[in-house]
Amino acid sequence: MKAPLWRRGTLSVGMLALALIIGVPLYYIVINTFKTQADMVASPLGFPTEWSFENWTQVLTNPTIYQAFGNTLYVTVLGVLLQVFIGAMAAYAMLIAHGRLTKILAAVLLLGFMIPGQSTLIPLYRTLVGLSLVNNLNGLVLMYLGGSIFCFFLIQGYMRTIPYEIIEAARVDGAGTFQVFWGIILPLIKPILITVSVFQTMWVWNDFLLPTVFISSPQKQTIVLQVYRAVSEFSTDWPAFMTVTVVALVPMVIFFIFTQRHIVNGLLAGSVKG
Amino acid sequence: MLTLVSRNSPAAPSGNRRRRSIEGGWKQITINRAFLLPAVVVFVFLFIIPLAQGFYWSLTDFTGYNPEANFIGMANYAEILRDPSMLSALAFTVLFAVGTTVIVTCLAIPLAVQLNKVFLGRNFVRSLWFFPAVPSMAILGLVWSYILSPLPSGVLNTTLNNWFGIDAVSWLSDNSLARMSVILVGVWAQVGWHAVLYVAYLQAIPTEYYEVAKIDGASARQQFFSITLPLLTPAMVISSFLLLTGGLKVFELPYTLTNGGPGFATNTITQALITSGVSQGRYGLASALAVMFTIVVAIVGFSQLKVTTMISRRFS
Repeated sequence: MKAPLWRRGTLSVGMLALALIIGVPLYYIVINTFKTQADMVASPLGFPTEWSFENWTQVLTNPTIYQAFGNTLYVTVLGVLLQVFIGAMAAYAMLIAHGRLTKILAAVLLLGFMIPGQSTLIPLYRTLVGLSLVNNLNGLVLMYLGGSIFCFFLIQGYMRTIPYEIIEAARVDGAGTFQVFWGIILPLIKPILITVSVFQTMWVWNDFLLPTVFISSPQKQTIVLQVYRAVSEFSTDWPAFMTVTVVALVPMVIFFIFTQRHIVNGLLAGSVKG
Repeated sequence: MLTLVSRNSPAAPSGNRRRRSIEGGWKQITINRAFLLPAVVVFVFLFIIPLAQGFYWSLTDFTGYNPEANFIGMANYAEILRDPSMLSALAFTVLFAVGTTVIVTCLAIPLAVQLNKVFLGRNFVRSLWFFPAVPSMAILGLVWSYILSPLPSGVLNTTLNNWFGIDAVSWLSDNSLARMSVILVGVWAQVGWHAVLYVAYLQAIPTEYYEVAKIDGASARQQFFSITLPLLTPAMVISSFLLLTGGLKVFELPYTLTNGGPGFATNTITQALITSGVSQGRYGLASALAVMFTIVVAIVGFSQLKVTTMISRRFS
């Protein structure tokens, strides 16, 4: 059932043109990293009159950007691993325990999924100040643990597809509760673990709300915070700012290219809930 | 790891009467519950306690400078309804949430239908549309603040001037234009993502439906309204729920694009919360705002659940 060639051709051209317009901001920030400031003012969208790599050397020789990457990597890896692990454990508990208490607890946990982070921000801020965990990367990781509830939500939906007999058989063979979890359940639910990790990684890596509230010193800032603060630092030097932006975008774009498939899976997994 | 659970004695001590004899006795039940413990700890310390604290603070005059909290009833709530920055934040947040939800839904469905067709460069086009969902909204806001800038290097004004001779437009310094700009950038950032969601659902529609419709002489328009749209209802519920709740939580985009300005025109609830609660230390007032916000989000969330169950019942 294929449309005639000319029709597909028109569609191609139309969709490409539209997509290119949507992509202009991306082109705009990338092309301007190769311009001097005067060049950028003269023609913001044109090619550089002379390709300049000064912005790149300036940004890439500045050690703060590497520190910001390190901080973001630390918070993201630790935060996401813990979230997914806590969520998977809770989902597993739901699967093996059938008591009424567990069911009630699970239902209450699902309510947590409805509560936006903003609702608890002010009290948690006070608490973390009291614990000296403000301006501290571990304090930030602690805040991100709230995402465990979302992980639990998605993982328990997927786990329901696992036949209980598998666990029973493993038990009969003498495997302990934790062995079953580690050796059988986790490998079985690998697809959802990947999907959930991809989603949470995109959230934590890109988050601006929590770092801007909880992190004040330049040594502790995450990459998104660094880009935001670069605006005042390079207030007049736009090309330098754009270069910082592009450097910050690169890891996420690479991540996206490798995980694209799982993102679409996740869209579907997230929608099977309800 | 082996020593962690060594309760596999062949004769389970008790609880054998239950259907799941393998569950074992209280020891096993304790182990099972232990797996739930970390999530419960997270829930209690990151959700329940701060929620209760916030609710209590919302009824007091607690500030960073006056640690002695006095009970003042609903005064904080009344204060919010008098404070122009907070009122503006409430209004713009709702406008943004509803505006992006409506516009994105209206654009994403036709876009998804096109993206689902076969054409040259489809993957490239899909990726370009999806791209804005990849970087942080904060970064996108900053980039757009440069594009919409009225300065000579602001690319939109320069282009409009060069191509059409239009004078500089103050995209971000006029109240209504600034609100519109923030919403449209929000649409730009989300429409591709939601189109991909719709494409996933479109692919689940059997092609036979369309073939039969074609044989019966249905036009493309009729096919869209009688087959595609009804079968996309579940996707629409999910997409609009995500847009609506995400829109109510909006913070990063207006904060980096306009910083809530001009005046408080694009102030958001979250920004007002951070300004009053963290920067000014007015914990009582900020908590009252947080309580109101939680209630609104909860209402939206539960109505979504209700609608979803209603729809799934109708379609099953």
